[in-house]
Amino acid sequence: MAEKTVGKPIKRTEDPRLIQGLAHYVDDIRLPDTLHAVFLRSIYAHAKINSINASAAEQLPGVVAVYTGKDVARIGPVPCAAALPDLKVPDHRALAQNKVYFVGHPVAVVVAETKSAARDAVDLIEVDYEELPVALDEEKAASAKSPVIHEQFGTNVAYKLTAGEGDIEAALKSADQVIKQKVLHKRLAPIAMEPRGVLARYYPGEQELTLWTSTQIPHLCRTQVAIMLGMPENKLRLITPEVGGGFGSKLNVYAEEALMGWISMQLNRPVKWIEGRRENMQATIHGRGQTGYIEIGFKKDGTLTGLRYNVFADMGAYFQLLTPAIPTLTGLMLSGCYKIPAIQINVTGVFTNKMSTDAYRGAGRPEATYVVERALDLVAAELGKDPVEVRRKNFPQPSEFPFKTATGLFYDSGNYQGALDKALKMVDYPKLREEQKTARKEGRLMGIGVSTYVEICALGPSAAMPAGGWESATVRVEPTGKVTILTGASPHGQGEETSFAQIAADELGVGVNDVTVIHGDTAIVQYGIGTFGSRGLAVGGTAVYLAIQKLKDKAGKIAAHVLQCEKASFVDGKFCADGKAKGEVPAPSTPVGESPAGALPHPHHGKTLSMMDIALEAHVAKNLPPDMEPGLSATSFFEPKNFTFPFGTHIAVVEIDKETGEIHFQRYVAVDDCGKQINPMLVEGQIHGGIVQSLGQALYEELVYDDQGQLVTGTLMDYALPKAIMIPHLELDSTETPSPVNPLGAKGVGEAGTIGATPALVSAVVNALEPYGVRHLDMPLKPEVLWQIIKNGPRKNSAGAA
Amino acid sequence: MKIEGTYKIAAPRERVFAALTDPLILQKCIPGCEQMEKTGENQYHAKLTAGVGPVKGVFSATVSLRDIVSPQHYKLVVEGKGQPGFAKGSGELNLSDDAGATSIAYTGDVNVGGLLASVGQRMIQATGNMLAGKFFKALEAETAASNPLSSTGT
Repeated sequence: MAEKTVGKPIKRTEDPRLIQGLAHYVDDIRLPDTLHAVFLRSIYAHAKINSINASAAEQLPGVVAVYTGKDVARIGPVPCAAALPDLKVPDHRALAQNKVYFVGHPVAVVVAETKSAARDAVDLIEVDYEELPVALDEEKAASAKSPVIHEQFGTNVAYKLTAGEGDIEAALKSADQVIKQKVLHKRLAPIAMEPRGVLARYYPGEQELTLWTSTQIPHLCRTQVAIMLGMPENKLRLITPEVGGGFGSKLNVYAEEALMGWISMQLNRPVKWIEGRRENMQATIHGRGQTGYIEIGFKKDGTLTGLRYNVFADMGAYFQLLTPAIPTLTGLMLSGCYKIPAIQINVTGVFTNKMSTDAYRGAGRPEATYVVERALDLVAAELGKDPVEVRRKNFPQPSEFPFKTATGLFYDSGNYQGALDKALKMVDYPKLREEQKTARKEGRLMGIGVSTYVEICALGPSAAMPAGGWESATVRVEPTGKVTILTGASPHGQGEETSFAQIAADELGVGVNDVTVIHGDTAIVQYGIGTFGSRGLAVGGTAVYLAIQKLKDKAGKIAAHVLQCEKASFVDGKFCADGKAKGEVPAPSTPVGESPAGALPHPHHGKTLSMMDIALEAHVAKNLPPDMEPGLSATSFFEPKNFTFPFGTHIAVVEIDKETGEIHFQRYVAVDDCGKQINPMLVEGQIHGGIVQSLGQALYEELVYDDQGQLVTGTLMDYALPKAIMIPHLELDSTETPSPVNPLGAKGVGEAGTIGATPALVSAVVNALEPYGVRHLDMPLKPEVLWQIIKNGPRKNSAGAA
Repeated sequence: MKIEGTYKIAAPRERVFAALTDPLILQKCIPGCEQMEKTGENQYHAKLTAGVGPVKGVFSATVSLRDIVSPQHYKLVVEGKGQPGFAKGSGELNLSDDAGATSIAYTGDVNVGGLLASVGQRMIQATGNMLAGKFFKALEAETAASNPLSSTGT
């Protein structure tokens, strides 16, 4: 019997192929006769297209076709799955029709024998643009004075939404004090290491289209692309080969995916498009993009009475799959891990002449956590209390779970004190504050930032999701005893080929390496939803677990039949006649390769049977219980009844260089609780990655459009991704509060780092600058900003909280 | 992007102003300018090769001179388009006497788009200043070279 693997830090089985360069991404798939597509994209943020002259491009040797907006008008609109009341949905076509709405808006696509010919031809297309005034800032664009982007709406306001429970006016009135603060969540670029890419091949005889695309949602993408192309869904096969990261940017259906399919159908040849990095930054969805106004009411003892968040959410020019829904997640999580009796969010979703925003790791929740954590820090500063004390004061107790928030959620389980205490102990918090006092006396700028967060994961119950929140799995034991898992989740770096194998190995009594996890091919895998929203394990893994239970149920019946007993028990990875423990009788299994055909199976009474034995019996089908179907496979579709709510505490300790404004890390400690851990090494990896992206947002990253709507941070030279040297040593630990929502007890961890870390980092820097009267700073915390503050000298009665 | 500065040329103001409004001289002085054709009164079509850092290409541009107050002021409006994107801008030139020489004060506002903006933006300011420097240096040489001619001619 193999040792149990769940809970152990097993190395990822997918890594050898990834780190040896043996994995296959879209661009690695080479088909004979493939054509190459290159896009002409708008260089204006807002302009009318008077004419397009592509004749020179069409005549360039090697060019097969040039398509513009009018050619592809029959392709259906790029879908938006978010349904909100009175939502204004612009008609989003695969190529620009009469106007361009943002820099990067696809205007034409050239298809040629080689990529270089296509690129050269793009330069020969002449577009006569007539520039139009731009609307860029989400708050200004919402005003009546702003130029309007989509004329048919007469406004840039895409929707307005108010949510929350409790009487917010009364709550703020009943407070001893109310603090207001404006906060900015700048636009970020998700920057998956592998940009997008699509390869399409149409088989005219079979009338079948195969699409290889780098996506997080193969089945949803297939459905939507089939609708866009007006073709039967079951004639479209969508394959996601290796996907080099998504971070939400590939939780989408893009114009380019449908276009490549359509072009292949026009030309009856395979066609490939691989996104360049500049294209990726201009025309793959962006994250965040909010200008918000916080109002937090509180009593003198630090008890919170109410929170209001009025926010202008930057949609970009069009909706992508979930664009308008992202700020609603912000609204849901505005209670943080605190008891706040009344909460209100007022969202104004605003069109701007920029690329669409959409889900980027955390997707609306980092914004919420940032708002709540900044608010708690402001309250603590105002009251002169320790930020830890104010947090603790407002925590619900572990006994209060499921905890109902004024945002309408039921937090499944939690022990916020536990995670906080552990993190405080790791940094020796009282001593740390003493050190800070000493440092301040010495004129050093030391800061301590604490963030206690909760997030909403394992998305989610279908009733609360745009398009189904369940996940599917089929588990098969092949005749040789090897286990095949087909998962509807579509892992792309999360390590589920390993964690799902661990679950199966323990449940079925096989080795991790006996299990193969197949995903991302709609012709092989049953319909599924995909990987996003920290759902892979908690929803997809649960489906695997439940399918295994069904399968084991059948296997048990076969075992009882073969063992000639009433009931067989599965003990230590083997079936035995009920009551008899393993080891009483040596366990012979039917040797693989020795065909039992022609020979009647021997009675197994009193012996034990491995899953391999059962699988062989199930497939040979000579000795099955009467009326039992042959084969050994089961499928499960798991629909969670609630979300899960992972939580934790992050603590950052920094010192700011007075001469340069640079931030130096002294400590970074995180205690995260993602429920039951299947593989702690995967958990740690996810936390690491999340913190790094969070640190990017807090300190460096910001997509900048100039006043003409030109994206000036258009390359990785200008968009400051954090590099290894900028990352502090991360000291991680965890607590484990199982979720009651699924039998694995798992909550999800993919986004925790991007949610918990940002407020801790900002808090630490703000805390360091407390002697200068600073109470709030907007991200990214650039040295020049800090240096300026330091240069201006200490102030006594400044209010960051305006 | 804003460009501004002053440049001093050791030539009389009238001569400098004449040079600044002479398409032939402008063509010689504007860095990368390959062609400058008159298309109307104070209107020109120009072809120039320009680049910012790694982004290089051929631009076709319309140039117009407005608000001409000889010999002290005019406004220059340029709109250029090319394969690396577009650039459009306007600038004012003010000439004044400076101890026998001419001082040219210039201010300009330039917007760029396309590849120029996404790749070259960080280098545009430096490039703009460099190009302005090159232009005035060439203009100085031209006005100096035209000295003997003009002293005999006019």
